[in-house]
Amino acid sequence: MDTELNGANGMRSGDPLARRLAEGDPGAPGAMVERHHAELYRYARALLRDTPAAEDAVQEAFERAFAALGKYPEERIAALSLRPWMYRIVLNVVRNAWRDGRREVSVAETPEEAEERFEMAPGSTPGADTDAWLDALDAMDRLSERQRVAVALRYLEDLPYAGISEATGWPENTCKTLVRRGIGRLGALLSEGSDAKNGNGGS
Amino acid sequence: MALLRDAVPRLGATRGDPDESVEQILARGTDRLFSCDSPLGKVYVGVTEKGVRLVGKAASPEGFARRYRERFDRLLSWGTDEWTRRLAERLAAALAGKKVEVPADLSETTPFQRRVLEVVKGIPRGEVRPYAWVAREAGSPKASRAVGSVMANNPVPLLVPCHRVVRNDGTTGNYAFGAGEKVGLLEGEGVPVEELAGSLYLATPTTGIFCHATCRNARRIKPVNRRRFRSANAATNAGFRPCKVCRPAVAG
Repeated sequence: MDTELNGANGMRSGDPLARRLAEGDPGAPGAMVERHHAELYRYARALLRDTPAAEDAVQEAFERAFAALGKYPEERIAALSLRPWMYRIVLNVVRNAWRDGRREVSVAETPEEAEERFEMAPGSTPGADTDAWLDALDAMDRLSERQRVAVALRYLEDLPYAGISEATGWPENTCKTLVRRGIGRLGALLSEGSDAKNGNGGS
Repeated sequence: MALLRDAVPRLGATRGDPDESVEQILARGTDRLFSCDSPLGKVYVGVTEKGVRLVGKAASPEGFARRYRERFDRLLSWGTDEWTRRLAERLAAALAGKKVEVPADLSETTPFQRRVLEVVKGIPRGEVRPYAWVAREAGSPKASRAVGSVMANNPVPLLVPCHRVVRNDGTTGNYAFGAGEKVGLLEGEGVPVEELAGSLYLATPTTGIFCHATCRNARRIKPVNRRRFRSANAATNAGFRPCKVCRPAVAG
């Protein structure tokens, strides 16, 4: 995957792509979309649980990012940490979607429908790990919003805590706490879930 | 948690063609760039979904994109899409002298600037008009000077042929790319630049009409009948009436 990026825990130390954007390289916007699209999509998908909505959110995030880059002075663009910055924009867009869609949540697709869609997806094998994966996402839905965001960034996106802090605006220690508590709760929810499936009850 | 991470990449497969997504995002989030041969040499062209927004020379595409960003607050990306390709073809044909309509995006200009640029866009190849005429045609007869500054800041030179606007005395005047380039462009279009200096108007006693010297009607006047005038007023004072095709501007 993005080893060149992930290796850079020193994300602050100047991303060559940010410098290319600052210099006006007409190839840079395309390179930026190619480099970050998949991970941002995955992140939005984990937060929104809806494929078209996640696609829209990522599109809108890039649009906002490019609009902002058009207005920033050159030095500011060159100093940007693109990755956490993009995660932050996606989060803002996702929050808007959550707010606008709150009323629709109750009529959203049932887990069964969602499962069907996954199974139709090319390359996915229906079966035990799909179930387990859905359980995990279901459980993530039941975390608090902040925990869900922090857990997704840490464990789905492998962002270091400094990056999570940059992407959310929360202090680094808060992020650590959120992740720790989120993971704890997720574990509890998942074992509770599998107990229920095995007919052991447990409410 | 390993489970969660392993399962996730598979979800990536559910979205559409990645190239298409990239293209769609670039089309919506950025304006597009291409370069193009012109009578001035290689020029860079920035376009929006409305049309051509900026034409200019630059040492590098980066330099042009930075200038574009400063002027319009938008990023430029290479125009790999169908719309940009079509615009590039049409612009190349228009710059080569063919009569092809190329849409321009003048949304960032004031109404006065737009009126002036529209008037100038209508000056045919091989002809020139003075600043005062452009001002009159744009509905602001006293605004010759302002027309001059609109020309100086013309975002789309060549497409809006500001090089065909000359001083009221018939000399060619300045040009954003240099006065020499302006003379070269006009000569390339068949304008008799030297003849025009000091006598922008031609009249003929056979009809009693006077024209801009480059008007298609003026060019048909036989050499023996040609009467040269320094200004439109001098021609009217000598009893000639203005041509209805090129409508020379007579100062009130």
